[in-house]
Amino acid sequence: MKNNKNILIEEISKELPFSVPESYFDQFALQLEEQIGYKKSIIRKTIKPWMYMAAMFVGILIMGQVFYTVNKNIVSRNAENYETYVLSQVDENSLADFYVNEPAK
Amino acid sequence: MNPTEEELVHQLSQPNHRASAFSVIVRTYQERLYWHIRKMVLSHDDANDVLQNTLMKAWNGLDGFRGDSLISTWLYRIATNETLTFLTNKRMRTQNSMDDVEEVLLQNLTAENYFNGDEIQLKLQKAILTLPEKQRLVFNMKYFDDITYDEMEAILGTTVGALKASYHYAVKKIEKYFSEED
Repeated sequence: MKNNKNILIEEISKELPFSVPESYFDQFALQLEEQIGYKKSIIRKTIKPWMYMAAMFVGILIMGQVFYTVNKNIVSRNAENYETYVLSQVDENSLADFYVNEPAK
Repeated sequence: MNPTEEELVHQLSQPNHRASAFSVIVRTYQERLYWHIRKMVLSHDDANDVLQNTLMKAWNGLDGFRGDSLISTWLYRIATNETLTFLTNKRMRTQNSMDDVEEVLLQNLTAENYFNGDEIQLKLQKAILTLPEKQRLVFNMKYFDDITYDEMEAILGTTVGALKASYHYAVKKIEKYFSEED
């Protein structure tokens, strides 16, 4: 008996019954790009973000160093100013008395 | 954002941008071309070889591409020619063997790991293999990919009327195959 007599072609799944190895198309494209000499550009593209990041990191380090130095100078200048101010408020005689009468440590 | 067809054609004519533009083309069309070839040669390894030949031929022939047709049409045309050449060579190699080329293709299909269809899909593939090569091409392009007859005309260089007739006869033959089986 002919079981498939009434099978119409349009009733069969149009999905292809084939598959490909995993990541096949990604690998294929990379391989072909290598063959046409596009590898250099790919390497450049991959390196570029790292170069940007390294430059940013160096920039941040330099800025940090500058900020630290400037801040240190301001603090030490403030301390010097304070000492000068305190000394200016005391007359010479009182200062001499202070050093003469200072108890030995 | 991906470049437009016009931008790609322009970049292909510039030596500095040629490789990057071609890389975009490969990544855009490789899958469609692969399945177009695979449906004809059936085995994954063979499809891989033919796809590689197709794209290398396109790359080496870029100077001859002036953008008169769509990039996809141009690539499909090369892929079709490469596939038919591959099948002709395979036929010549199997001339002295007991099996004909269709039998060899079917053996490869069922032997390899990359076939995951059910019984009816395998039967359909067997039925498609009974068609002449050109008719098989037309059937696959219409049935599985639903490519319009106008597009097919541009790719295969056959008139729309002839393509419609070819598809009609292919369907009839396949249905006859199904009715005669079992």
